[in-house]
Parts: sequence; C-alpha cells; structure tokens
Amino acid sequence: MRIRRFIAATSSALLLAAGGCAKSEPAAVAEGLDITGGVTVDQTLHDRLPQAIQARGSIRLVTDPSYAPMEYFAADGRTIIGFSPDLATALGEVLGIRAEMVAGSFGSALDEVNAGEFDGVLSSMTDTPDRQAEADFVNYLNAGTSIVVQRGNPQRITTFETLCGRTVGTEKGTLQEEMLQRLQTRCGDRRMVIDSEPTNADALVLLRTGRVDAVPVDHPPAAYLVSEPRTSAFYELASEVQYEPGLFGIAVAKHDTELRYCLREALQRLIDSGIYGELLARWGLTSSAVLTATVNGKSTTV
Amino acid sequence: MRFRRAHRRPHVRNGSRLFATYAAASLVPVVALGALTLHSYREDAAEQGRAQGLAQAAVIAEMAVAPALSNEGYIGSAGLADGLTAEQATSMREATEQAIFRGSVLRLRVRSFTGRVLFSDDGSTTGGVPVADPDFQAATAGESRAEVIGTEVIRVLQPLVANASGQSVGVLELYLPYATIADRFHSQVSRTWWRIGGGLAALYLVLAMLAWWTTRSLSRYAARQEYQATHDALTGLPNRAAFRARTEQVLAAAVRDGGTGAVVLVDLNRFKEVNDTLGHHAGDELLRTVAQRMSAAIGPADVLARIGGDEFAMLLPGRTATEAVALLREVRDRVSDELVLEGVPLSIEAAFGVAVYPEHGTDVQELKQRADFAMYQGKRGASDIVVHSGSDAAHPHQWLVVQAELRHALERDELVLHYQPKVTLPGGEVCGVEALVRWQHPQRGLLPPGEFLPAAEHSGLIVPLTEWVLRRALTDQVGWTATGQEWTLSVNVSARNLEVPGFPRLVTDLLAETGTAPDRLILEVTETALAADTDEVARAVAELGGGGIGISVDDFGTGYTSLSHLRGLPITEIKIDRAFVADVARDSQSQAIVRSVIELAHGLGSRATAEGVETAEVRRWLAEAGCDEAQGYLFGRPVPWPQISVTAHAEPEGANR
Repeated sequence: MRIRRFIAATSSALLLAAGGCAKSEPAAVAEGLDITGGVTVDQTLHDRLPQAIQARGSIRLVTDPSYAPMEYFAADGRTIIGFSPDLATALGEVLGIRAEMVAGSFGSALDEVNAGEFDGVLSSMTDTPDRQAEADFVNYLNAGTSIVVQRGNPQRITTFETLCGRTVGTEKGTLQEEMLQRLQTRCGDRRMVIDSEPTNADALVLLRTGRVDAVPVDHPPAAYLVSEPRTSAFYELASEVQYEPGLFGIAVAKHDTELRYCLREALQRLIDSGIYGELLARWGLTSSAVLTATVNGKSTTV
Repeated sequence: MRFRRAHRRPHVRNGSRLFATYAAASLVPVVALGALTLHSYREDAAEQGRAQGLAQAAVIAEMAVAPALSNEGYIGSAGLADGLTAEQATSMREATEQAIFRGSVLRLRVRSFTGRVLFSDDGSTTGGVPVADPDFQAATAGESRAEVIGTEVIRVLQPLVANASGQSVGVLELYLPYATIADRFHSQVSRTWWRIGGGLAALYLVLAMLAWWTTRSLSRYAARQEYQATHDALTGLPNRAAFRARTEQVLAAAVRDGGTGAVVLVDLNRFKEVNDTLGHHAGDELLRTVAQRMSAAIGPADVLARIGGDEFAMLLPGRTATEAVALLREVRDRVSDELVLEGVPLSIEAAFGVAVYPEHGTDVQELKQRADFAMYQGKRGASDIVVHSGSDAAHPHQWLVVQAELRHALERDELVLHYQPKVTLPGGEVCGVEALVRWQHPQRGLLPPGEFLPAAEHSGLIVPLTEWVLRRALTDQVGWTATGQEWTLSVNVSARNLEVPGFPRLVTDLLAETGTAPDRLILEVTETALAADTDEVARAVAELGGGGIGISVDDFGTGYTSLSHLRGLPITEIKIDRAFVADVARDSQSQAIVRSVIELAHGLGSRATAEGVETAEVRRWLAEAGCDEAQGYLFGRPVPWPQISVTAHAEPEGANR
C-alpha cells in the first residue's frame, strides 16, 4: 500500500512537474517513462475543444484538495495530488492539452465554473439531479457515502438514521450536507446540529477534537482515512454500508457541450486502454470503477 | 660485576624507547576515539538543539499563527501574495505580542513565497532572510529548517500552513532564544567530555601499563638471554666467549694507551679426582666454591671467567708480572683453604700460568697459549704460579709444531734409542742400560729428549711414544741378550702412562712377545708422578711390581714425595738425583743427604743408584757410602747398544794415592 502510494506520488509529481512547465507543447509527458505514454493525442478531439482552451493549451479545473486520496495537498503544502489530478493529467494527454488543478472552495465551485472562471470542477462531486440543473457531469467514479466517527465509536452511531439528535459535521455544499438536511426533516424533535465547514478537513478536525459526533464522507476518502496510518488511530467507519451510492462527475457548464463531449470521449479512451483501471488501482479505488463513461448518468447522451 | 652491568645498559635504553613507541602508538587511537566521540556527541547535541527549535516553532505556528491567519476556503497557488487582510494582521499581532513580550519569541515574520514581508512583529516590512537562502527555498518546498545564529538565537524557517487541509500559504520566519537550550547543551557536552575523557584516560593508562609491562618483560628477557650467552650457568662467571671479547677490548685499549696487565690461566689440580670419587654434584660444588673464592680475591677491574671444565681464566689489567703474582698468591691461598665436600675435607690446589702483555704479546690467543704453557710447566715443576719465561724454545707455537712433527716421527720411525750403561759398585761391571729416546729430525738433526718430550708430555703424545720406546727397547734387549749380555733394561714412563687403564697389561704382553723375564725390565717413574698419588698410578705401580717388573723412583730428592707414598709400593730402585751427586765428594750436606737416601733405599729393600757420576772421586765416595749402582759419563754416554763398552769399568788402582 505504502509502496504503491509512493510510486503514485512520484509519478504524479512527475506529471505535474511536466504540466507545470511553461511550454504548451502537447503530449509533453509522452516520453515512454510514464504509463500513460501509450496514449496518443486524439487530434480530432483536440480540434473539437473550445477555442479558449485550445488557445490556452490547458484546461483549468477547480478542486477542493481536502479529500485524500481523491485530491489533497502533498507534503509541501502546495502541490495537489490524488486520483483526480492523475485522471486530469491522463485526460489532458488524450486531448493534447495540459490539465491544471486549482484549489478552490467546493461550495462555490459550480458558480465559478458557470461564471467562466474555470473550465470545470474535478473534486469528487456527486452527480445529483439538483446539480444537473447547474451543470453537466462526465461521470468517472461510482461511490456512496460512509459515516466517519471517532475511533471506538463513543456515540454508538450505527446507521445514518442514528445521526438524529447528534452534532454532525460536514463540508459546505456537498451531497452529504444535503443528505443531512434531508435526514433532519425525518428526525422530528431529535434534531441534529449540522456544522457545515469550509472544507472536509475542517469537519474532520472537529470530529477529531470531539466537537462533532460524526462526519458523513464519500466512501473513497472515508476508507482512506481509516486505513492511512497517520489517521486510522483517530477515526473509524460507523458501518460498512454506503449510503445513497451515486456517480462522481466532472462538472462543466451546461453550454459547454463540446468540452463535455471531449472529456467523455477522452475518458472512454482511458477506460478502453486500461489506463483508467491502472489509476484506480494506484489509489485503491478499483471497487468504485465505472464501466463506461457517461454524461449525467446516461451513456446515450452526447 | 661492572662487566655485566656495562652490557645491560643498552637493553634498558632499548626498552624505554620501545615503551615510548608503544605509548605514543596507543595514544593515537585513544585520542582519535575521544575526538570522534566528542565530535559526534557535539553534532548530536546541536541536532537536538535544532530539533527542539523546530518543535517549538511548530507549536507556535500551529497554536498561534495558523488560527490567526485562518480564513475560509483556499488561497491561490501564489499563497499570501496579496498580503494579509486588516483582520488577519490584527489577530496576528494579538497572537504574537504575548510571546514577544515574554521573550519566548525574539522575532516573527510572515513571508510570501516571493519573499515579501507580510507581517513582522515590529511592524517593519524590510529585513528577513534572502529568498535565495537555501533554508528559505526549503521552506517554500514544505520543509522546515532551523539554524543556530551565534550562540543566543535559533532561526527557524518553515512553511506556513494556515488551514486543516495542509495548504502552505507562505513562509514563517521565527527567531527563538537559544541561550537556555545552548546552556543545557554545553553542560551536557562538558559532562560527557569529563566522562569520556576520564574513561579514555583510564583506558590509556591500562594500555600504557600493558606496554610498560610488555617492554619490561622483553628487555628482561633480552638481558637474561644475553647474560646466558655470556655467562657460565654453573658459576655465574663470564664464559669463554665473554672472556675473549672482554680481553680483546682491554688489549685493544692497552695497545692504544700503552697499558700493561696479565692474562692468567688456572687449572685445578685435583678436580678430576673429586669428580670421579665424590660425584659430579660434588665437582660442581667444588667449582662454585673455587669460583667464589677467586672472585672474592680479585679486584673490581679484574675479570674472572670459567673457560672449561676445571679451567679458569683471569684478566688482570694494570698489573705488572710481580703484582699479578702477588695477587695470585693470595688467590691460591684462598683457594687452597680447606673445603668440606660430602663430608670429606679437601684442600684444592691450582696451577696458575701467567702471561703479561704487552711483553708476551697483545693477541688473546697468543697470551692464552703462553699462559697455558707456563701453567703446565708449573704442574710439572715445584711452583704452582709460573710466569711465562719468554724463551724461544718453549715458545708455544714451537710446541705445536713439535707435537705435529712428533706424530709423523712415530709413523715414519724417525725416533732412535740410545742406551746409557749402569754399573755396579764397587766392581764397575755393566749391569744394565737405561733407554733414552733421540729424534733423528729430518731438518734439525739428532734432537735430545728435552727438545720434544715436554711437548709430548703436554699433548698426551707421551702415551704412544712410551709404548714405542718400550717395544723398541725390548726388541733391542733381545738383541744384546743374544750376544750374551744379561743387562737389565730401564725405561722412563710418565705418570700419564700409568693413568692409562691397561698399561700394566700392555707391558706384560710385550714381555711375553719378546720372551723377556719381568725382572730384566725396570720402569723408571719420576718422584713427582708418584707424588700425584692417584689411585690409578698406585694401582698400576702395584700391579707392575707384583708381576716382577722392577720399579725405580727417578730424580729422587727433587720432588715432593711424601715418604709415606713410598710405603707399600714395590720399589726396587731409588735413583739419587744428579744435583746431590755432583758435589757429593766435597759438600758435607750433599753427603748427608746421599748417605741417608742410600740408607733409606736399603731400608726399603731397594737398590740405591746414583745418577750423573762424572769423576772417579765421586765414584769412590759412593762406593764407600754403600751405593749399589752408578750411572754417568764416567761410565759411558748414551749410545746405540752395540757401541756399549762391555768391559768392566774397574776403579783405576791407586789413582788417588
């Protein structure tokens, strides 16, 4: 596990180092030293990219890097690593552009995309009907929500429903926040106190220090938290159940259909070539794989 | 003693040099180990100090700085490039002023990645570490670095992590007091220094003691080895080699500086006897005692060495012959003090041969040979301390030549026998002859016995020589018997002959071979030989006499024979020495002596024979005194037997009338 992560981190660093350089040369990383080196640039897809992106030579994706192993800060506190940046880099290679991950607030990410500040959101965002009203999603992962509690589970939380009457932490603007708000309506007089924090990390700090009793988190980062040696001493999962399983998607503006098309096609190439599977395996996410690239959960939509 | 010490000193010097080398060699690793340990401990302590500084800085950053800077969401990848908000600056000041006031922080700056000073506790926006500083670069890359500046301050540069997600937004530059850490560190180092230093000093002491002990053992061993190589194990005296070396030194110095001195050889007279009768243990004891006595008698500059079984040598530097002899008299007296061995009281006598340098030579070998010769002269004669006479005839080299030539002479039959007649008194008829050996030397002509007999006696060559004489004389006797002469045959034998086991047997065998009656052979033994009083000689004489062979005591009156020696021996003849005979006609004392010897001989049942009779006057006196036989030029010189005048040497009638 550790070794694998080390390799992952190293290769990510390599990819990002390549991506961070000033050159806009396409496929700059395809030098045979990388597993994505087998991917060739699809010129057709590249040519269908929006003009702004083609001109810039890069796609700017906003992410909230407080969600290991999906997206989070490396030890230097400045580099964003994880499955999402790796996937973005691989997609960029298919499309012949650099993928740039920018740290930003999860809660305001969709608004910023719609305002044109970023080309998309790649931040473990679950594709929900509500969000589909704001953006289109290119689905790349399938996962539900787990409940993270303090190690030893002092509050004896077993199911999602037992959160009623507790103080629960969550990240602002997430599906989990919405799920808690929905649960609140069913709690009756045993109301929850829902503490919405700017980032997932802030919510976990509150859990660690006992100021909240539980934090519902997407399954991949939740599983990572309880297996990572640095954090497993403090956290555990209330149960193995994943609530409301759904698809993670890259959000793009509704009007940006060409970008949506290109990303889906590129993702399909990665799935077909096995690179997608390899990247999942690197981050321990194989069980969350999607079989085909879809848009808003529908494979036929183009 | 001085001799020994002088040789030991170099070992002491070598030993201390070796010890110094050992000590220096073991000092190197000890000092190196100490330096290395101290250095690494110092490094560790400094590293600890830095680690402590880093830990303090981390606590300050997490508990004071991060909360003060906390804002919602993320900061752009450029970090805090745009500066702090007014709210952040206020909370930073509030968070840090306590620490500044208390002195737990000396200075605190918040820097952007580009190096801009975003906050400083003193409000200034200048100063701070250059961006190019490796520590600053490391901090922008997420690494914390601490550095001690001088001895009072520790500077920490670390990434500024402002929120829970671990994003680094800038660089925190902290200056913390280091004095307390440094004090503790210094006291630790000095404590450790004393412990390690003490331990290493003890270790070094052990090493030095080992070195000292080893070198001492080595030098002692070397000294013992050398002592053993140069000393006689039994007596502790210098041995032959050491004596030679020492003598060479002294002689070289004497040649250079013109010194004089004496080389003395000493031989114990009765050592063999003691060894044979009382055993080797007693012999060893005797040698030790004699060595001690001689050592005690000589001076500090003199050297006494044991160079053989019962042979000793002395080097007496700075003495004339007279002084040396005076000293040797004292030595002799001390040596001859009574000594009790195995319950047997003994008096040991020694023969001393003296050679003086530079008079008798300056070569060790030469001096020793001359001393040796002198010593043997002493053994043969009356004096036991003999200084080399310096005569050429007795030159030791000549002796060796003679011995070698004599050996050849025996093989080549160069020796001839002459006979001198013995006549009866008063009638004057020839009654017997004495065989006297001559050497027909190829170069030097006919040599008298005095020229070669001493050499033969000395070398042991006398044994085969006497045998040859006996064999030849008995053969000659057969010759004159055939012509009708009934002369007896007298042959001189040496004490050495008598000491050879089986000599009596040899004589009887020869008599049987030639068919000679035993009473026609007379063996002449010197008084000195009889005086040796050894069992072998006495046994041999008794055996020969018992077989009917005549035994004659030669040169009577000149030796040291105790009369008791004669008692019990089958003596048939006593020959009065020529020294008394020559003036017996006039000197009343000689007359008294000769008369009493004649009487003694008759009393013992022997004949009395006078030697060296040269005048008719003497002959007449002897005849009147009752002497039985006479020998001398008056009756005939030694000649080959056929030339002996067979006519009676009748007294000229009325010659004195």
